[in-house]
Amino acid sequence: MKAIVFDQAGKRFGDVTAVGGLSFAIEPGSTVALLGRNGAGKSTTIRMLLGLLEPSSGAVYVHGRPPRAAAAAGELGAMLQEGRLIPELTVRELVALVRGLYPRPLDLDEILGLAGLTGLARRRAGTLSGGQAQRVRFALAVAGAPRVLVLDEPTAAMDVESRLRFWDGMRDYAADGRTVLFATHHLEEADEHADRVIVLAGGGLAADGTAARIKAAAGGHVIRFALGGQPASGLDRLPGVTSAEVAGGTAVLRTDDADATLAALYRRTTLDVRDLELSAAGLEAAFLALTREP
Amino acid sequence: MLYYARIETLRTLRNKRYAIFVVVFPVALYLINSGIYGEQTAAGGVRQSVYLMVSMACYGALAAAMMSTALPWAQERSSGWSDQLRVTPLPGWTVIAVKAGAALLLVLPALALVFAAAVIVAGVSLPAGQWALLVPALWLGTIPFAALGLAIGSLLPPDAAQPAAIAAMFGLSLAGGLWFPVEIMSGPLRAVAAATPVYRYAELGWSVVAGGGLPAAGLLSVLAWAVALGAAAVHAFRRATVRS
Repeated sequence: MKAIVFDQAGKRFGDVTAVGGLSFAIEPGSTVALLGRNGAGKSTTIRMLLGLLEPSSGAVYVHGRPPRAAAAAGELGAMLQEGRLIPELTVRELVALVRGLYPRPLDLDEILGLAGLTGLARRRAGTLSGGQAQRVRFALAVAGAPRVLVLDEPTAAMDVESRLRFWDGMRDYAADGRTVLFATHHLEEADEHADRVIVLAGGGLAADGTAARIKAAAGGHVIRFALGGQPASGLDRLPGVTSAEVAGGTAVLRTDDADATLAALYRRTTLDVRDLELSAAGLEAAFLALTREP
Repeated sequence: MLYYARIETLRTLRNKRYAIFVVVFPVALYLINSGIYGEQTAAGGVRQSVYLMVSMACYGALAAAMMSTALPWAQERSSGWSDQLRVTPLPGWTVIAVKAGAALLLVLPALALVFAAAVIVAGVSLPAGQWALLVPALWLGTIPFAALGLAIGSLLPPDAAQPAAIAAMFGLSLAGGLWFPVEIMSGPLRAVAAATPVYRYAELGWSVVAGGGLPAAGLLSVLAWAVALGAAAVHAFRRATVRS
């Protein structure tokens, strides 16, 4: 049984389609990044997955059940983007409260350790820094030992130390065969921490695969050279070129066949090519290429 | 669930707003006013120190019921805390049930403090039979106000829920005769007072201390307010937590 299934799930708010007919399935035990710019539909997708939003069309399943039923069975844990804690309660009280709601929770001290909160257990939530509060929210997400852990931009507002501790904690949690889905717009995070990357753009699926495959699919190399005042027309029609941009006298070509593009650039054009640089496209470039607004 | 109820109660007890409106205000006002007028005779032929004890206990209880519901609940909705709980196995209805229960629990210290001030400082003494009617009437009579607070918290965002709850609390206390006795109000004002749930609620207490027992009409009226505002609170809660 798949851990998460989106079957043509879509969400409209009035006339605005936030997510349109999204389909994908996630195997149990995998760690998946949901990558996209702000407004790509990440949060709507996550809220449908958690049963906080009802899809306008299609369906969502968590271990074969609708999200509300999965939540009632303690299958889901979440770290939401907006999530102020109750300021009058201590870290320990908050964690104990949430863990007590699940049928088979983790041990309280284990949770505090996992989230790096052992030293902060007696502090009131209202006195925590942004990064510390974020770690508490991670603790709340894992407290019930849910099989599916969902994190919406978990490292936003975290300082470097909190971020490192957070990813360590997440890796430990996921190592026990649990499924993790996290939304991010940090490409390095998706590249480093996920087995699979699902790229959303404009409310739809732009790419789905390992970080390496997405890089390859989006054009393997970037060619950059000084164009000066020469006409740029025709650059985008060179063999292998997937996109061409000229800014400030510099041409930037993305290509999935650098050899063919370079050969054609020198042999078939009359351009005076200077200061040429050839580099492998990073995930950043891949991401930009995949999520470019049409 | 029990732990959730305990935590809900605890967090309000630690809150400064609760402490000021519920603990300091009514007791201080009682001590000041009964110090000045305590020996005079109030409506119903009882000493002012007794009449004021009921007024201020009602005010404290009203404040406790509303301060522990409206703003905390509005904040939880807007801050994402209620979503955090909705992802857990906690059934949705328990949130409103626990909040209503915790609010009722938090009314008790408010009542106890004013009663204690009255007995210890102002030397009030009532027959045991009157206490036995007064305490449950003034305690359970706050159900309509806890419901009103929850409805406000469901309908308004926090920056509007706070002033709305405070305005409702003071407005109802004033109109209901907790600050100035209804007997000194003009005719039209008196009609307004009689229409408020606060007057009907406080009337239960005033009647008991005047030796009149619990008036049936008053009991029915408070019960009707409890049903009406309770239904409004449940409806508003459903609307606020619906998955659209």
